[in-house]
Amino acid sequence: MTAAPLLSVERLTKRFGPAAGGLVAVDAMSFAVGQGEFVSIIGPSGCGKSTLFSMLGGLVAPTGGRIEVEGALVTGPHPAVGMVFQEESCFPWRSVQDNVAFPLELAGIPRGERQDRAQLFIDMVGLRGFERRLPSELSGGMRQRVCIARTLAARPRLLLMDEPFAALDEQTRLLLGDKVLQIQQQLNQTTLLITHSITEAVQLSDRILVMTYRPGRLKRVVEVNLPRPRTPDVVTSPAFGATVAALWRDLREEASRGMAAER
Amino acid sequence: MILPPRAAPWFGVGCILLALVLLQGAIEAGWVDVYIVPLPSDMLAALPRLVADENVVGRFAITFGETLASGLLALVVGVALGMALQHWPRLLLAFESWFALLAAAPLAMAYPLFLVLFGRGPLTIIVIAFASALAPVVLKTVEGLSTVRPVLMDVGRSLRLSRGQAFRMILLPAALPQIFVGLRLALVFALINVVGVEFLINLGGLGQLINELAERFDLPGTWAAIGLVVGVSICFFLLLEGGERWLRSRG
Amino acid sequence: MVAFARLRQGVLLPRLVAGVVLLACWQGLAMSGLLFRDVIPTVPALAAGLVRVFASPDFYANLAVTSAELAAALVAGGVAGLVVGLGLGASPFASGAFEPWLNYLGPTPKIILFPLLILMFGVGLESKMAMGAVSCFFPIAISVAAGVRGVDAVLLRVGRSFRARWDQMLVKIYLPAMVAPLLNGARLGFGVALIGVLLAETKLAKQGLGFMVMDAYQRFDMPRMYGLLMVSVGLAAGLNLLLERLAGRAGLRNIRRERS
Repeated sequence: MTAAPLLSVERLTKRFGPAAGGLVAVDAMSFAVGQGEFVSIIGPSGCGKSTLFSMLGGLVAPTGGRIEVEGALVTGPHPAVGMVFQEESCFPWRSVQDNVAFPLELAGIPRGERQDRAQLFIDMVGLRGFERRLPSELSGGMRQRVCIARTLAARPRLLLMDEPFAALDEQTRLLLGDKVLQIQQQLNQTTLLITHSITEAVQLSDRILVMTYRPGRLKRVVEVNLPRPRTPDVVTSPAFGATVAALWRDLREEASRGMAAER
Repeated sequence: MILPPRAAPWFGVGCILLALVLLQGAIEAGWVDVYIVPLPSDMLAALPRLVADENVVGRFAITFGETLASGLLALVVGVALGMALQHWPRLLLAFESWFALLAAAPLAMAYPLFLVLFGRGPLTIIVIAFASALAPVVLKTVEGLSTVRPVLMDVGRSLRLSRGQAFRMILLPAALPQIFVGLRLALVFALINVVGVEFLINLGGLGQLINELAERFDLPGTWAAIGLVVGVSICFFLLLEGGERWLRSRG
Repeated sequence: MVAFARLRQGVLLPRLVAGVVLLACWQGLAMSGLLFRDVIPTVPALAAGLVRVFASPDFYANLAVTSAELAAALVAGGVAGLVVGLGLGASPFASGAFEPWLNYLGPTPKIILFPLLILMFGVGLESKMAMGAVSCFFPIAISVAAGVRGVDAVLLRVGRSFRARWDQMLVKIYLPAMVAPLLNGARLGFGVALIGVLLAETKLAKQGLGFMVMDAYQRFDMPRMYGLLMVSVGLAAGLNLLLERLAGRAGLRNIRRERS
């Protein structure tokens, strides 16, 4: 990368409890994400992925190391960073339109302009026509789309997503994955996705960072050299399968360690 | 100021004590009228006086006795009614709103009527307290019985238990926590009404004491007696909570 | 719709039966002479008394006084309860320090504080307003605190991730998320405030429904007294029902997983 990275993480550490004998969730992770890149972080359950996500988003303070976005140190939620959470996070009392326009409302943008800008992203996630609906009237997949649109409406330079499709069924996941790809290409959106699904990571990313089980360290960085766009042909190609298999070997080792530790 | 969460209750107590000290100072300095708020030190001094002169222990026994009587009566009748309503859903549908109405009604306001009907004695107080505590217990019992997970009843049916057996061995134990909440509710409502009515009709135990002291313009005494009643309530509820927790830990 | 109609019929019958039985028992008691004359008036006398209450001009003036006291009590106690509840709900430390006191003081009878309030506010309307305010402060504060804690944590994280200011968090996230517990707290508050105000009026007052009840009793005008009591109970029950309906509808709007 010749251009300066958008996100730069240096020896990021998070420890819970006392210095000796406490729980180390994230251990001295270092990596960078460049402009326009789609990077996934995969790891077994309990490896500290969500803690990493919270730190990158500025919601949790690291115990060590530094995070820089566009060269500026991250000390709290950064305006250039947008977060999509794993749990359902639509405001149940707001319509789709009002949900998506939320960050614009916070910024004091007047109503008319808000609605126009929100409409752009509502269309982008494929929810045109549902503007006035309440979240309770939508399916789980549609609700997550609303949350993605809402985060995008704030035009973040870096989009962070923490297993956004975890609660959805397989088919919806695949469709939403395609949607996310489309959007990423349309906007040239720099994205960091945290997931436990290898196929999802390979389908969507340029690079994959593999985390170890607790303490979470960077085990390996895998370049995904598959052509874009990631059409169904690409997804069913042997190269895809090989990449997935290689990653599974890594992940399996960590996942087994995880299961053994939990027992 | 960062304090560990475990220090929180002590912090609260500390704040209250500090407030009392500041109040003492403010009254002595003349910023607060001593005829409205007597010195906390005087209030404290009034306590032993009350215990000695006003038969606080005896009064406490009266109030407590009336509370127990009306509360337990409300519990027994209320749980029975609640179970009956649960058993005949048609009746439940018909009368649940009536009980909700009863629960919200200011029954104690009709105390003159009760006085005339039941005479000027503990019976009146018990009747009013019973009537006020009944509806909440019924509603809580119904709520508890209806939240028993249906799958538990299915287990009973798959084992071919008779209705009586299913009731005794599954429904009742499963609903027990809610019934204990109902007990707490019954005693709480009973206590409030007993003390309140004692105060209003100037008869009985601790409630009457407060009224008397107020009519005598014994300000430190009145405040001390109120504090006493509050203290008694606190102990009462702590006991109930502890009892509930102990029973729950026994499974 | 047919099932609904049949349901309503099914409910109507037991209610009618129960109502008739109760009235018959009452009437029997009234006519038996077992009890002191007039303490249990006959059913027609009760009805006449109720009509007379509505026909008397001073009833409406006194109703207005009680309503005014109730309104002021709710505003004072409600605002105080809301502020304290929000503070306690938002801070686990403050909650640990002070909420136990609210929980223990809440269920104690507030009417015993009335002599103190008379000293502070005089014998007029203010002392009754204060009584109502003190009565409703506790359940409202407790409900609000519980409501704040019940707000879905992920919604708060969303707000923080968008760097919302504290006032934006309060108005755009906390309050809308808490509508159902707020209304339930208001319902409870209404109930206890009204009871507090009425009881205070019976104890020491020159105006208001509670005063009218005592006045009727002292003149031994039993049907009038019963009429006034029925009106008071009706008022309490009516307000309770209204707020319960509102709370129910607000709660439905906040239900998230309807489809999935």
